[in-house]
Amino acid sequence: MTKIIWQLFLTYLRIGTFTIGGGYVMLAYVQREIVDKRHWMEDKEFMNMLALAQAAPGLIAVNTAIFVGWGVAHSTTIELSRRWRWLFTAACIGAAVLGAALPSIVIILLIAIYLSGFKTIPTIEAVFKGIRPAVVAIIAGTVVHLARKV
Amino acid sequence: MYWQLFISFLKIGCLGFGGGLSIIALIEQEVTSHGWISSAEFVDMVAISQITPGPVGLNCATYVGYHVTGSIWGSLFASAAIIIPSLVIMLTLCIIYMRVRDRWAQHPAFVVTMRVIRILIVLLVAHAAISLCTPESFIDWRSWVIFVVALLATISAEVKRHRVTDIISHPIVLIVLAGVAGWAIYG
Repeated sequence: MTKIIWQLFLTYLRIGTFTIGGGYVMLAYVQREIVDKRHWMEDKEFMNMLALAQAAPGLIAVNTAIFVGWGVAHSTTIELSRRWRWLFTAACIGAAVLGAALPSIVIILLIAIYLSGFKTIPTIEAVFKGIRPAVVAIIAGTVVHLARKV
Repeated sequence: MYWQLFISFLKIGCLGFGGGLSIIALIEQEVTSHGWISSAEFVDMVAISQITPGPVGLNCATYVGYHVTGSIWGSLFASAAIIIPSLVIMLTLCIIYMRVRDRWAQHPAFVVTMRVIRILIVLLVAHAAISLCTPESFIDWRSWVIFVVALLATISAEVKRHRVTDIISHPIVLIVLAGVAGWAIYG
């Protein structure tokens, strides 16, 4: 149980660290890590809950993390009493949200405190010129993947 | 000050339907009406939020929180405030969804509705991809080369599952390679 919570946190930490461009790019990672690799959720279930994340207000990446935490907690076959089931669910959601938010908060704080001219560093700008079209490609790839699973 | 910051971002978290851009618009409204940040600074902040990892709205909240209070606590307050409404609303929706699914999972109307919703979701994600096809993303023909290569790499795993396609289609690998390519081409 604690292993699942820890794995979920680490997976989301990785997702949060490498996602540039917001929620939709995150989808590609989440789909791959949570559904394809770890089989914590089914494809159809993932898409159904994605609809909830879109319909609700708030950041899509955070909403997605919440439903993934929920889905993972409910997909495990471990026998739990009602109270423990709720605690486990809360821990899973907390792990996913914290993992998704932590890199973002730490990196922005570092930039806000130490690097006010970050955006105008030429190397950074060149790197992002390369990343931007790739981000569009990753989202387009997600479309292809999801379309096949409808 | 902290209290105002908290309330403002709580409001944004409650009203920000549609994610990313609509949330940035709301943040702009809040911070400029309070006179927390000038609009030139805001543009810079959005740019930084978009090129750093993590959800764009959360990046904005962290940045504004620090800028307004000059302390890390301001960042944490703003970030927590924008997440709290999501937690409450998504939990409620998840519970409702589970109830409905457990009861009507086999019902034809439920199956059809969910299928239609899934198709709409695919279209929504497609829309997000198309709306990112801006002059900022595609500055010249070399951007298109990067795009096409990255797209082929992503789709390769769909065509054939293999160790190699698994690696080259991984988003993290793609982002890092594209960054290196950008540095080599434009740096």
